[in-house]
Formats: sequence, C-alpha cells, structure tokens
Amino acid sequence: MKVVFTSKIFLTILFFVIVIAVYFFTTSSKPVDFNSQVKPIFNKKCITCHGGVRRKAGFSLLFRADALAKNESGKAAIIPGDPDHSEMIKRLTLKDPEERMPYKHEPLSKDEIDILKKWIKEGAKWGDHWAYVAVQSVDVPSKPDWAKNDIDNFINQKLIEEKLANSPEADKATLLRRLSLDLIGMPAPDNLAKNFLNDNSDHAYENLVDSLLASPHYGERWTSMWLDLARYADTKGYERDDSRNIWRYRDWLINAFNNDQPYDKFLTEQIAGDLLPNPTDAQYIATAFHRNTMTNDEGGTENEEFRTAAVLDRVNTTWEALMGTTFACVQCHSHPYDPFRHEEYYKFMAFFNDTRDEDSYGDYPLLRSYNDSSQKKLNGVVDWLDKNVSSQKAKEAYTFLKTWQPSYNTLNCDSFTNSELADTKWTSFRNHAVCRLKNVELTNKNRLIYRYAGYVNSGDWQIHADNPSGPLIAKINIDTTKGGDWKIAEADIKPMDGKHNLYFTYQSNKLKKPTDAGAMLDWLYFTADLPGKEKSGYSEMKNDYWKLLTADAPTTPVMMDNPSFMHRVSNVFERGNWLVKGDVVEPDVPHSLNPLPKGAPHNRLGMAMWLVDNKNPLTSRTIVNRLWEQLFGTGLAETLEDLGTQGVPPTHKELLDFLSYQLMNDYQWSIKKLLKEMVMSATYRQDSKATAEMIGKDPFNKYYERGSRVRLSAEQVRDQALVISGIMNEKMFGPSVFPFQPKGIWLSPWNGAEWTMSNNGNQYRRALYTYWKRTSSYPSMISFDATSREVCTARRIRTNTPLQALVTLNDSSYIDMARHFAYRMRREAGSNVEREISRGYELALNKNISPTKLQALKKLYDEAYDKMKDDKDKTCEMIGEMNENDNPETAALVVVANAMLNLDELITKN
Amino acid sequence: MNCEEIIAQGLKLAIMTRDELHNQRLLQEANEKAAHFLTRRHFLKESAMGFGALALGSLIGGCHLGASNSYAQTLFDPAHPLAPKLPMFPGKAKSVIYLHMAGAPSQLELFDYKPDLMKLDGQLCPQSLLEGKRFAFIRGVPKMLGPQATFKQHGQSGAWVSDRMPHLSTIVDELSFLKACTTDQFNHAPAQFLVHTGSPRLGRPSLGSWVTYGLGTENQNLPGFVVLTSGGKFPDAGKSVWGSGFLPSVYQGVQCRSEGDPVLFIKDPDGMDRDLRKASIDAINQVNQEEYKEFKDPEILSRISQYEMAYKMQISVPDVMNINDEPQYIHDMYGTQPNKACFANNILLARKLVEKGVRFVQLFDWGWDSHGSDANLAIDIGFINKCRQVDKSITALILDLKQRGLLEDTLVVWGGEFGRTPMQENREGKQNPFKGRDHHTEAFTIWMAGGGIKKGVSYGETDEIGYSAISGKVTPFDIQATILNQLGFDHEKFTYQFQGRPFRLTDVSGSVINDIVA
Repeated sequence: MKVVFTSKIFLTILFFVIVIAVYFFTTSSKPVDFNSQVKPIFNKKCITCHGGVRRKAGFSLLFRADALAKNESGKAAIIPGDPDHSEMIKRLTLKDPEERMPYKHEPLSKDEIDILKKWIKEGAKWGDHWAYVAVQSVDVPSKPDWAKNDIDNFINQKLIEEKLANSPEADKATLLRRLSLDLIGMPAPDNLAKNFLNDNSDHAYENLVDSLLASPHYGERWTSMWLDLARYADTKGYERDDSRNIWRYRDWLINAFNNDQPYDKFLTEQIAGDLLPNPTDAQYIATAFHRNTMTNDEGGTENEEFRTAAVLDRVNTTWEALMGTTFACVQCHSHPYDPFRHEEYYKFMAFFNDTRDEDSYGDYPLLRSYNDSSQKKLNGVVDWLDKNVSSQKAKEAYTFLKTWQPSYNTLNCDSFTNSELADTKWTSFRNHAVCRLKNVELTNKNRLIYRYAGYVNSGDWQIHADNPSGPLIAKINIDTTKGGDWKIAEADIKPMDGKHNLYFTYQSNKLKKPTDAGAMLDWLYFTADLPGKEKSGYSEMKNDYWKLLTADAPTTPVMMDNPSFMHRVSNVFERGNWLVKGDVVEPDVPHSLNPLPKGAPHNRLGMAMWLVDNKNPLTSRTIVNRLWEQLFGTGLAETLEDLGTQGVPPTHKELLDFLSYQLMNDYQWSIKKLLKEMVMSATYRQDSKATAEMIGKDPFNKYYERGSRVRLSAEQVRDQALVISGIMNEKMFGPSVFPFQPKGIWLSPWNGAEWTMSNNGNQYRRALYTYWKRTSSYPSMISFDATSREVCTARRIRTNTPLQALVTLNDSSYIDMARHFAYRMRREAGSNVEREISRGYELALNKNISPTKLQALKKLYDEAYDKMKDDKDKTCEMIGEMNENDNPETAALVVVANAMLNLDELITKN
Repeated sequence: MNCEEIIAQGLKLAIMTRDELHNQRLLQEANEKAAHFLTRRHFLKESAMGFGALALGSLIGGCHLGASNSYAQTLFDPAHPLAPKLPMFPGKAKSVIYLHMAGAPSQLELFDYKPDLMKLDGQLCPQSLLEGKRFAFIRGVPKMLGPQATFKQHGQSGAWVSDRMPHLSTIVDELSFLKACTTDQFNHAPAQFLVHTGSPRLGRPSLGSWVTYGLGTENQNLPGFVVLTSGGKFPDAGKSVWGSGFLPSVYQGVQCRSEGDPVLFIKDPDGMDRDLRKASIDAINQVNQEEYKEFKDPEILSRISQYEMAYKMQISVPDVMNINDEPQYIHDMYGTQPNKACFANNILLARKLVEKGVRFVQLFDWGWDSHGSDANLAIDIGFINKCRQVDKSITALILDLKQRGLLEDTLVVWGGEFGRTPMQENREGKQNPFKGRDHHTEAFTIWMAGGGIKKGVSYGETDEIGYSAISGKVTPFDIQATILNQLGFDHEKFTYQFQGRPFRLTDVSGSVINDIVA
C-alpha cells in the first residue's frame, strides 16, 4: 500500500516535471506561431465583433495593418514589442465586466492571454494561414518497411504519433473492386478482372492500375465528379426550367479526362478557352463550364437581375470548386475570418462581368456546331476573306457565323409605346410602335443583320437616330415569316459616327386590332457590307456565308467577352445589393494571394493564368484534396469547400503539400499520374477490416490505419448494377438519355414537359448520361445524395436512409436489372441453385461466397420458389414478360438477385 | 464510453462556456433519446452485440460532430439523421400543417373587407398608387375593382369573412389573422421561395427541411416531412420549394402522391408479396450481419436498421395514405372525393399524418392565380370554385384536430405567396376578358391556428382600399420566425454552416409576431 502511494506521488511529481518542461519548451524557447496559436484565439473569441463583418470600436483583427492601427479611442490596441501598453491586453485582463473583453463572454484563460502577450512581445508578427501560402517542396519522412511510396511515409509518421499501426494489404478481389470503382466508377471489364486475378507477378497490380487509367470509362467516372462542381444540368433552372443543350460540355470533359489533359490547361480552357488565340470549337465548348449557370425564363423577371446572379455564381463557383474557398460571404462584406476584402470580391467579379450573356431566352452567346459539309463551307468563306480581304475580316466573319456575335439583344430595348418586351424576352411591335435601343455603335456600319419574326405583311420598321423623329437610318419592310418562325435577314443602314440611341418605329396597315403584335425582334448585328465585291468568287462566298448564317446548326452556350464598344462597367455592390452600385472597379485578384503573373492580361485569360500559376496556393491543394476524398472518402482536409481558417484543418498537411507540389512540378499537372501515386500507395491498398479496438481508437479512420469503407455514389450504385446484370450499354457521348422513371414526377407549370423513356438500349446507359432536370432531378439518384445542381456542390454529404433501401429494393429499374442479373446467373452457371448464387456473388464481388452467406441466400431462394412453383401469375409478374425465363426457378432467382443488389457489400466500397 | 472518455468528457464540461454546456446537454439528451429509440427496434434484439456497437456508433458520431460550438452543428448525425431531437426551448407546437394556396388567393374577396373600395369600383386608379410601382401584368392606368363578395362579421371575435368561406366563418374564433402581410417578390416562383426558404432564389432549405433537421421525426416508419399537392400542377417554384437546399438531402420533403406509389418506390414489385419481402430483407440483413462480423463497421449496422425501417415504412405509408378506412362522418365532414388527387383528400391525409407523428405536412393547392385572363382564373367564377374546394375541408381539419386534442400542439398555417391588387388587371394595357386582380406585394392575409397561437385575433391593418399595410406589417421572415418559435427554436440561433458562414432560415431579418403568440 505504501509502496503504491509513494510511487503515485512519484508519478505525480514526474508528471508535473514533464508538464513544466513541456511548457517551457513550447512557450519559452520557441516563438509563438501566429497560425496555430494566435489566430485560433482570435477566431474563437474576438473576430465575431472585431473582424470583417463587425468592427466594434473600429478595431479589426483580420489584417495586421488594421489590427495595429489606431482605433476609435485614438489608441492602438496592439503595440508590437510592448504588451504592457497594448490596449488589447489591458482590456482582456480588466475586472470590470463592462470593460473587460470579450464583452459579455467568458474571459480568456491565463494561457491564452500569455500566448497573446508573448506574441506581442515578439513583435506581433502576422502569419498567413497555411492554405494562403504558396506550396513549397516538403521533406519526406523516413520510410517504414511497409511503405510502397512516399505517401506511406507521411501516413506512417502520423500513425506513430497516434500510436496506431497500419493494416495489411487487402485481398486481390477487394483491391480489384476498389480500384475499378475508384478509377472507372464501375466494375472492371471481365478481361481486366481475369488478367489481374490470374496474374501472380509483382506487376499485376500496377498493370491493372495502368489498364484502368487507360480505359475510356475513366473519363466518364471523373466527369461524374466534375459535373457537380460545374453544376451541370440539361435544363436552365428557375420556374420554367426548360431544356438547354449543353451536353457537348459533358463530352468535352470526358475527352479531357481520358486524354489526361494537364489540369492547368483543363482549367484554363474552362475559364477562358474563348480568349485563347484562334480558339477551337473544343476550347469554346470548355467555357460552357460557366454557362451552366441558371437562366430565368419566367415572364416579368428582370433580365439584369438574373444576369447578375449568374455572374456572382461564376465567382462563387470559381472559388469554391477550384480554390476551396468560400468567397460568397465577401459578396456582402469583408470576409469575416479570411483575408479578403469586400471590394476584392467585386474586382474579381469584374473578370466575369464583361461577358456577352444577358439572361436571354436563347442563352446567347451560343457556339454553333456545323456538320462536315458546312464546316468545309465555313473554311472556304474564311479562307477566301483571308486571301482576298484581310485576316481581320476573316476572323470577324468566322466569329459571327459561329456565334451570331457580337449582336445587340433586343431585350435591352426600353421606352416602349405600343410595343413591349414580350414575356420580358424579345421586343415586340404593335401598330404605331416606338421604342429605344441605347448606345449602339454605328461607325462604319452600313449593314444590319437581324433576327425577327413577322406576323403580318407590309410592316414598316424604321430606325431613327437620337430621337423618334431623328435622322432615318433604315427603313425595312417586314412581312409574315412562315409559321411566325424566326428568320434572319439583312438591310442597308446609313452609317453615322459614334454611338447613338436608336429609336425603332413600326406600323402596318395590315394590323386590324390595336392589341395585335405585328413583328418581334430577337437580335441585331450592325456591320459593314461583306468586303471583296470586286474579287472573283465573291458571289459564291457570299452565298455560302448566308447559307451558314441561317443553317440549322446545333448549339452550345459558351462564354464570350464583350467587344470594347459594348464594354460593361463593374461596380462594388453596397452590402451585396446589385441595385446599389458603389465604386467602379477594374478586374484584379485579392492582395493576400499571389499577384497576377507578369504579362497576364487583366481579363479572364489572365485570371486563368493566375489560377494555374504554381504560386497560387489554393488550386493544386484543392484538386489534390478532392481526388484524395474521391478515393478515401474524406479529404486530407475534410472541408473540400473551405481550406480557409474556418475549414477543418488537414489531418496530414505535409502530405497535402507534398502531393500538391508533385502535381505541379514532377507530374506537370497530370491527374492520371497523381491518381496513380495515390492508388499505388500501401495506404490505399490496406484491408478495411477493423476490430472493436480500432473503431474505438480511430472511429473515422482519420489516420488511415485501415482501408476506407465508403458507400458508393448515386452514379456508382446504378452503374455497378447495370454491369453486374450484364445490360449496361457502354455507348459514350451524345445527348442525355431518359432511363425508367415513374410516372407523374414531372408536373412543370407552363411547359408541360414530359419524361419519355429512352429505348434501344439508351435506357441502360451510364448514370452520367441521365437527363438532369434541375427542379425535378432523377429521383433514385437524389435518394443517394446526388444534388439538383442549381449551384456548385463542392462535397456531397453521404446519408443512410430507408428511402435508399426502397430505391434498390423496388425501383422498376432495379427490378429490371435484378431480372437480367438472374438470367445471367442461370446462363453462366447452369441449373444448380447454389452454383447460380455463387456465380452471381462472384460477378458482383469477384470472389467466392462464404457458406453462411450462401445459406442465407439459398434459404431465400427456397422460400421464393415455394411461392412461385404453384403460382403462375406470381412467376409471370416476377419475370415481367412472357419469355423463356417465365418459370418458377428463374422467378425465385430474381428475388435472390434483387436481394443481392441490396447487400451492404455491394452498396459499399470495401 | 470507457473510463478515460468519461473523465475526458468531465474535463471538457468543466472548461465549457454556458452556451457550450447547454449545447452539450442538448446533444446528450438527443443522443440518449436516439439510443432509447434504438432499443425499441426488435430486429436488433436478435443481436446484442449489434445493438451495443450501434449505440456506441451513434454516441461517437454525436461527439464527433459536437466538436463545433454551434448548436446547429450538433444536430446532424449521418448514421441517424432523423432521430428525434429536442428543440432549443420547449415549443408549444409539435407539428405543422402548412396550407399553401399556390397562385395567391385574393385577400380582398376573403378576409380584408374594404367597403370604400366598392365606392371606387370602375374608376381609374389614381396615379399616386402607380408611380414608381411595378406590377407583373398591369400596364398603363387600370381601373379599381370593388370587392366581389359579400362580407359579414362572425363569431365572438367579430372577424370579417366573406360569403366565399361559409364554413370557415363558423370557426373564426379559433384563428389568428395576419392582415398586413407583405413581400417584395411579385412573381410566383420567387415569392413562393421567399415564403418557404427565406430567399427568392433556388438553393436554400425549405421551412419543412429546417424543422425536420432540427427536430428529427417522431415516427421512424414515416417520412418526417411530407408534401401533398393538388390542383393538377406543382407550385411554380417546383420541387425545390420543398427541397433541402444545403442541408443534407435526407431533410427534403417527401412527396406523397395519391396516384401511383404514395411514396416513390414504396410498393413491392409485382409478384413479391409481403412475406417474400420480409424473407428477402431478412436474407439481406443476415448477409450484412456476416459482413459486420468481418468488418466491424457501425455503418453496416446502420444499414441493417435502415432496411428494417424501409420494410416498416412500406406498411405504414400506404396505411396512413389510405383514407378509405376513415368513418363516413369524417368523409362527410371533409367533403372528400374517393380516389381523387384533391385538396379535401390531402387535408384529411394531413390530419392522419400529424396524428401518426409526422413533423411537417406541406400542402400546395394550385389554381389561385385569379388574373381574369380566363373563366377559371376569374375572381367571380374560378375563384368561387376554388373557395368551394377548400372551405369545408379546412374547417373540418380545424374541428377534427380540436376534437382529437391535436390542435393544441399542431400549428396550422394558411396563405399564399402574395396578395392581389385592388385594381382590376389590364394585361398589357387592355381590359382582361374576365374580372381579375394582378399580383400584389404590399398587402395580403394569412392566418394561423393551434400550436400555441392566440385565438380569435386579427393583427395588422391595411388602408381603406386594401392597397398597403398601415399597421402590424409582417414579412415572410416574421412568419417563419413565429413558426420556428412555436416549435421551440430561436430563429436567430438556429443555423447551419455553409459556404463559410452560419445560415439561417430568416437570413438577416424577421422577428416573432408576439401579438399572436398565446
């Protein structure tokens, strides 16, 4: 007893000695670290009142300059080197609760105050948050014997710190399935699976990795991920939510991933492909990334309001998806926690604000995709102009024929008399109409090309400059267009110098009622005559030009900047309100990050160059973190959407930095190389089996002591079932498809759109080709946490609900797949039930079923068979149609197949 | 929890602020309640080990998420997202039935009696009412339109109700009218979003999602947030108006339908009877148990319980959605129409659902957009039919809830997304073919009943022609704040962290309308 007692005392003393030693070691010898010691105190205790939103008493702790400046009291709260005279320390230590800070909250602890004192004493050095400091090369920790590459060295270091151990490698079947789901989003094709399982050489695993990375399905899988970030959908959103043709962007992504387009180019083309020299169609289509914003077609809505909403969404998405930063809060005020000022939001917005799109019904500007023969014609026109006139004119013609730009949308007309903005979309004329189009550049323009619809003949449309009875510059006859359809025509106009407000008048003696509309205008393109009249081949060229201009070409919305004569000024919005415009701003990037690279233009292209500059601290970290999350279930920093000071700090910051550095330097932004590095690691290959002890010590597997178990994504759940049941249609690309969906899901007001199920195998395409309607997304995928894609989703949050069970148990799509799965089991394993079930299990999981599992499923078969054997109706219902499978044995196997598609082993990646 | 953890927990408690302590306590209570709930699941009794691990899993889950000091962050446990949770303070209402008349019914023909407007009928609208205003369809100078209904005072409270609602006028003493509601959105979709999500644009969670997120659900065999629609179309704002926005998708409204499956995929496939479904879920769970033995991942146990719940939901949803078993007098009282997707059937369903512990029932009835552009949308034709379709059943709901003792803790809210103009609509400057009114943001009426709301109150007033609110003006944010208050939430503190900041339903505005809170 006594011995125990003394040893207890001894231990207590020892403990204190250690504590004191540690205290001195950490607090005295080492200088205070702003980021890990000071900033957390500020964020937790001070910044709500003294930050970017509220600056009580004029004091803010967001930037060093603000924190050291004199406050309303005339005194500086922080005097570097002099804690005793620093007002902040005084106020933290006062006794009077009215004076003591934090006001009306618990006082700071002594430790916290000591840290702040010491920090001020040492000069109140500001530190930048880790994620805002450029990525540096990182020293790799020492290599443990189980390591396969550098990743494992980092993981091992943390495991040792946490007194945890790594797990052994998972079995081959598990690795095969894990790798396939991760790299191509579905089970591996049979030949790859067989090769791997039969290959006992050292290279088997790496060969499989290489084959999967080379598979065309690789691009589809990673596109699935990117579509959430791009908020891709096949509809425009808001009330009407009509269709939009933008699937060519989805196809562009698939190709970009499959070709392993370096990530820096991948981003540059999506942000500013249109600003690259002589952009290709593909580079234009890449810019549809930011045309996935919503367009509001509801009548009576303000187009400028929704154009602005789209621009703000582009800013927020660029930051959240590509730079892991929640920038949206800077819209209304300076960032409450992170070093971004209010006006910097609008400077950044200015990069996006000068684009041609105006929330028009047509989703202009559009890229028109010509078929081969039209493309040949286009090349002919452009070559002719280039040779006979000038490269400038050739370029102009190319841009106009490809995009109908730069045109004035008539939705900008105003001052209407007997005319209006029909459904707030197009200018519409009644008899004796007058309206105005402001600020039109007329210098050297003697020709007007316009898109219109006529409802009566002999409409007299006149264009006057400066006022309704000002100089007449055009007089155009408008007749009925066939079926009231849109048509493109041209007219002479009188050129004038400079910009003018144009007044349109319209009348027709054919209009009987004053309420009837005579004509409607969509856009107007002011130009000069096609030059080169005197050169041979002119008339053929002109003929082709018009054929191309009016050709029925499929389109994709793309980004385009305004030409200088349409330049749009950008302002700060006071408190985020777009109607209250503050100072004018020019495009720029926030000062707390890297500056624009030397020579970069102050436009989207320059911004893209800045985004992918190796000095940008966020871009590489964000994608590395995201790819890690896709493989391991959780990011190295859990909050993919926020690497800032309010995000969850990374568990393995050095590893995140190491991989980010590798990506930019060694891998030259190759995503495939980065993914290969991750999946080649021993960390990735670990077994995911746990013990109660492991769950207790590291319940969320934060330190990677075992393989991660992650529920499949909505897309993977569907794709896997399609593959297992042997009916997946592997066709790639093209317009979105309509797999089975129960009746009555779409009940859209006003447009009466209906879901018509695809056939000819299109109903069995991969999930990413499913038509995505924003206001009514595909229900079975929504149940599995897919999102409606109204705005960017940086991270899907996985849930586990009974509604998910109902999908895979009862959705007709899954019943259909269960039937085909059962037919396949019978086909491939003959008529022995155990063999059939075992075969099914093998098809799903590449391994043999355990006797107990087989027994459970066999028992289900027996019960089902008992029900079916004397019940022809039930059998027929279970099979669904009269075919050769219409027998009780197969029907019972369908019940088993349905159960198998619901096993946790299938829904989860082990 | 082992010894060390308990000690650590104690230490943690000792250094917590009062707020944190409060949150911690709530979290603990929620977890205990969740754990208690789990013990009732007979399925898990078969596996003692299974249960222990599951309860542990849920506690760990709670602690993990509880690490943040915000109240809201403690609410979401991915393994048990719908476990019942306690509100911030004891609320008077346990559930909500929200009756939304999509299209916006005219207050001037129902509750806001304006004899002076009658005198102005047919006269040109004074310029002062038009200057600087925007309307959805009115152009130029419209004419004033007098009330197209006859008004009388009713009940002890003397509430004005028109002859369009003969049934409702008999129960006015149960209701609290808000007569000076305003909004700033004059198009349907944005106005509906504002009412239900606190923002005119897509992307924020709906009221029902917030409530389900905050309180979970009492009945695990039914969805926590049910949506019922009638009138043949969805509201203009589409399904997002009951979406979960940035909250986890599990909190979105589950649309129960009267045609097809009442809940999507609830019906077993043809050829599979209940016994066989039971057998198949047993087989699935048995294999999953094997899986658990090998992997020890608590998520597997959670999946096992979700399948068990799915099976129970398959029984309880069609059961609760079937109104045929209700006695005839109830059918008569509500005026139901057998096998039809109509409002009366939905409102009876709403009563059944809250009776069974559903937290939030949202009804939308389409067809109230009385512009006068056709007969169905005429204020003196179609509107009368719409009133007939809802009057009797809404009255029945209040009386039925009352007789069952449910009205006390069920909050009933009735309203549209905005009001209608005292002027007759003249679309694009010309007279509409029928009498109608345009969208109006400056005055409309909604009412609430039950759930701790005062009875027989009329709050707020509009000017003599019903154009503008002059006293007791309330916004959608105030209404949301009041609904949350009745459920036990301070709308300013009930938040969710998203895009780097805590979001709340009422954004930066709203205050509880204390004058109608009992």
